[in-house]
Amino acid sequence: MGEQMTRQNLQISSLLLVGIITFGLPLVLRSPTYLHILILLYLYAYLTSSWNLVGGFAGVLPLGHAAFVGIGAYSSTILYLQYGISPWLGMIVGGILAAIVGIIIGLPTFKMRGAYFALATIAFGEGIRVMVENIDYLGPFNLNGPRGLQIPPRNVGLTNLMFTTKEPYYYIILIMLVAVLALTYFISRSKLGYYLNAGGEEPEAAMSLGVNVARCKLIAMAMSSFLTALAGTFYAQFTLFIHPKSIISLDLSFEIAFIALIGGRGSIAGPVLGALLLRPVSDFSRIYFGATLPGLHLIIFGTVLVLVMIYQPRGLQEPLTRVYHKLLYRLIPEPAGTE
Amino acid sequence: MNYIIEGLINGILMGSIYGLTALGLTIIFGVLKVINFAHGSLLMVGMYVAYWAVSLSGLHPYLTLVVVVPVMYLFGYYLQDIVIKPIFKAEREVREPITVIIVTTGVWYILDNLTLLVFGPQYRSIQDNPLRGKMLEFGEMLISVPKLWGFFAAIITAGSVYWFLQKTRTGRAIRATSLDRDAASLMGIKQYRVYNIAFGIGTATAGIAGVTLVPFYNVFPTVGVLFDIKGFIIVVLGGLGSIGGAILGGIIIGLIESVGPQFMAATWTEAIVYGLFLLVLFVKPSGLFGVRYDW
Amino acid sequence: MKILELKNLTKDFGGLRAVDNLNLSIDDGQILGLIGPNGAGKSTAFNCIAGVYPPSEGDIYFNGEKINNEKPWNLCKKGLARTFQIVKPFSSKSVLYNVMVGSFANKDKRADAEKKSLEILKYLHLEDKKDIRAGNLTIADRKRLEIARALATEPRLLLLDEVMAGLRPTEVDEMVEIIKNLRESGITVFVIEHIMRAIMALSDWIVVIHFGQKIAEGIPETVAADENVIKAYLGEEYGVS
Repeated sequence: MGEQMTRQNLQISSLLLVGIITFGLPLVLRSPTYLHILILLYLYAYLTSSWNLVGGFAGVLPLGHAAFVGIGAYSSTILYLQYGISPWLGMIVGGILAAIVGIIIGLPTFKMRGAYFALATIAFGEGIRVMVENIDYLGPFNLNGPRGLQIPPRNVGLTNLMFTTKEPYYYIILIMLVAVLALTYFISRSKLGYYLNAGGEEPEAAMSLGVNVARCKLIAMAMSSFLTALAGTFYAQFTLFIHPKSIISLDLSFEIAFIALIGGRGSIAGPVLGALLLRPVSDFSRIYFGATLPGLHLIIFGTVLVLVMIYQPRGLQEPLTRVYHKLLYRLIPEPAGTE
Repeated sequence: MNYIIEGLINGILMGSIYGLTALGLTIIFGVLKVINFAHGSLLMVGMYVAYWAVSLSGLHPYLTLVVVVPVMYLFGYYLQDIVIKPIFKAEREVREPITVIIVTTGVWYILDNLTLLVFGPQYRSIQDNPLRGKMLEFGEMLISVPKLWGFFAAIITAGSVYWFLQKTRTGRAIRATSLDRDAASLMGIKQYRVYNIAFGIGTATAGIAGVTLVPFYNVFPTVGVLFDIKGFIIVVLGGLGSIGGAILGGIIIGLIESVGPQFMAATWTEAIVYGLFLLVLFVKPSGLFGVRYDW
Repeated sequence: MKILELKNLTKDFGGLRAVDNLNLSIDDGQILGLIGPNGAGKSTAFNCIAGVYPPSEGDIYFNGEKINNEKPWNLCKKGLARTFQIVKPFSSKSVLYNVMVGSFANKDKRADAEKKSLEILKYLHLEDKKDIRAGNLTIADRKRLEIARALATEPRLLLLDEVMAGLRPTEVDEMVEIIKNLRESGITVFVIEHIMRAIMALSDWIVVIHFGQKIAEGIPETVAADENVIKAYLGEEYGVS
C-alpha cells in the first residue's frame, strides 16, 4: 500500500515537472521561430486529442475534421470582421455550429459500416471546401470565396484574441490542450467512456449490455467537432489569415488522423505522443528538404503509419507505456512477500 | 439541342471512364470488405507505367496494355500480400478491419510522394500522341476518339471481370470468399490468396483505366487524388461491391459534370456531386440501384 | 406468472422461414431449454427476442409487455440480458472493464459499477483474472465472462446461447452448477444448448424445434422419450434408455 502511494507520488510529481517545463518554456526560449513551431505542435496535439474522442474512443474513422476547423475559423472571423464580435464569443458560436453539423453527419452514418462513415466525412470535408471556395456571400456573410479572409491586426489584445508576440498564443493553446486532455481523462473513466469503447469494439455485444451505441457516438462526435472548431478560431487568430484550400484541406484532415493513429488512438497520451514525434519530422523535413526532397515528410508519415499499423496496431503509446511502467516498477520495486 | 446531346454523349463517355477508374475499388471492397484508399494512387501508378511504356518504346498508347496489365496485376497482388495481409492476419477476429483502411491510406501517401520525389511535380503528356485531339464529327457534334475508346474499354473490362467471376473456378472462389470468408476457407479456399488475386485484378483494372486516360490526360503525382474521391463517390452511388453499379455511378458523375456547366458555374457541379453523394449515403446507403452485390 | 411469451413467432429471411409459428412461454424462476438440430432456428428465435431482428409475424411479450420492435439496449434496461453463441468480448480491455460495461446499465458512478462488477466476478470465480485482457482468456473463461457481463446488467431473464459449446466435460459440469445457482438467485434462464447431458440435467421444461417449428415439449424425461424428437434429432446420439 505504501509503495502504491509513493509510485503515485512519483507519477504526480513527474506530471508536475512536465507542467512546469511546458509553462516555463517561453521564459527561457525567446526565439519566435521555435515558439511558433511549439504552438503548432500543441495545436496539432489539441486537434488530434479532439479527434481522438470520436476517432479513438468511438472506434470510427473520421477523415474530414478539417471542415470543423474551417467552421470554427470562418464563424469567428466573419463575426469579428463584419460585426466586431470578440473572437472568444465567435469561438463558442463556431463550436456550437460545428457540433450541430457533426451530429447531422453522424446521425445517418453511425448506423452503417465504418467504411461509409469514413467516406461520408471525406466527402463532407471536401464538399464544405468546394462550397466555401465558390461562395462570396452566404446571405449577409462575406466568405470571400477562394481568396480567403484577412484579419487586420488592429485593437490587439486579449479581448480580441490577437497579440503581437507569440507568448500569449503559446499559453492559450497550451491551456486549451491541457483542458482537452483533462476532459479526455475524465471521459475515459466515465460511463460514457466505457460505453464508447465497448460500442467501438463490439457494437452488438455493447447493445445487448444496454449501450445505445449510435447515441454515444453522436455525443462523442458533437464534443469532438465542438472542440475542433475552437482550434479553428485559435488558428485564424494566430495566423490572421484563413484560406479555404489550406484550412479545410484533405491533407489537414488526414494529418490529424495519422498523428492520432501513430501515437495510439483511444488513449489519452497517444495523440500528444503522436504530435510530439511527427510534428518535428514534418517541420524539419520541410525546412531542410522542402526544396530538394518535396513530400519527404509525407513518405515518412506513410511508412511509419504502415509499420505501426502492422506491428503496433494500438499505436506507439502501448510499448512506451510498458517501458514507462517497467521503469516505474524498477525505481520503486514491489516489497518482498507480495507477488 | 445538339449542344445538349453532345454534352450528354461526352458525359456518358467520360463517366464510363470514371466508372472504369472506380471498378477496382468496388472489386476490392466486394471481396476484402475494405475501402482501398490507395486506389487513386494505383491509378496514378498505372498512368505512369503507361506513360513511360509509350515514351520509351514509342508504341501506340493502347498497345501498352500488354505491359501495364500484368505489371499492375503483380503490383497489386504483392502489395496486398506484403503490406495488407499481415494486418488481416493480426486482426482476424475484428469484424471490420478499420486498420486496413488506415494502412491503405499510408500506401496512398507513400506512393504519391515517392512519385513526386522520383519524377517531380511536373505535368507530363505523351509526345507523338496519335490520338491527341482526335475527334469524330457527327454533323455539328464532336466526339473525342480517345474517350470513345475509353468507353469501350470500360464496358469490355467490366464485362470481362463479371464473366471471370461468374464462369471461372478462381472467380467462383472469389465470389465464395466475398459472401462468407470463413465458410469459404472451410471449403478449402485459400482466403489470403483470393484476397491477393482480387487485389491484383482491382489494380490491373486501375492500370487499364490509366492506359485509357494517358492519351488525353496529364500525368502528375497527385492525379490519383482527383479520381480517388470521385471513385469513392461513384462506388457508393452504384452500390459498394457492384460492378455494373460502378460503371453506372461513373456515368452519373460524368453527366453531372458535362451537363451541369451549361446551367451553372463549373465549380458548382463539384459541390453538386458531393451533395448527391451525401444524399445517397444518408437516404439509400446500398446505392442508387439497390444492389448489394450483383455477383 | 409468465415472464416471456412467444405467440406465433415467425421470422423469414428472404424466402427462407427460419422460425415458423413458434409458441412458447417461460414461468418466472424457471429454466427453459430450447433444443433442435443445427439450423433449426434456435438462434434466430433468440435474436428476435433480444431485439436483433424484428419478427416477421407474431408477438413477443416480456413481463406482459409487447416487445416486438424494442431495441436491444432498451430490452437490457427492462431486465432482459443475453450471451452470444460466438462470444464477443471487448478483447483489448480487461475482464473487469468488460463486466463494468454491463454494470453501468444500472449504475452511473464508476465506483459503484466497479464494486458491483467485482461482486459478480467473485460469484463466477473470475476475480483473480480481473486484470487479464479479455482477448487472452481461455474459451471456458470467455464463456463465463459473457455470463458475468450479462449478469452485471441485473437481468430478470437471461438468454444463454450455447454457453457450453467447446467446453471440456468438467467445465460443462461447472457451468451447469453456475446456471442452477442463477436460478436460485431468482433469475429466469432460457438456454439453447447442444450438449444433451447438460440440458437434461438443467431444464425444468424443454422445447424442441425442427425446421423452425415446435415438434415437442415437456419435462426432460418426456422429451427424451418422444418419438418425433428421436426421429428428428436425438435418434442415434441419445437413446430412449
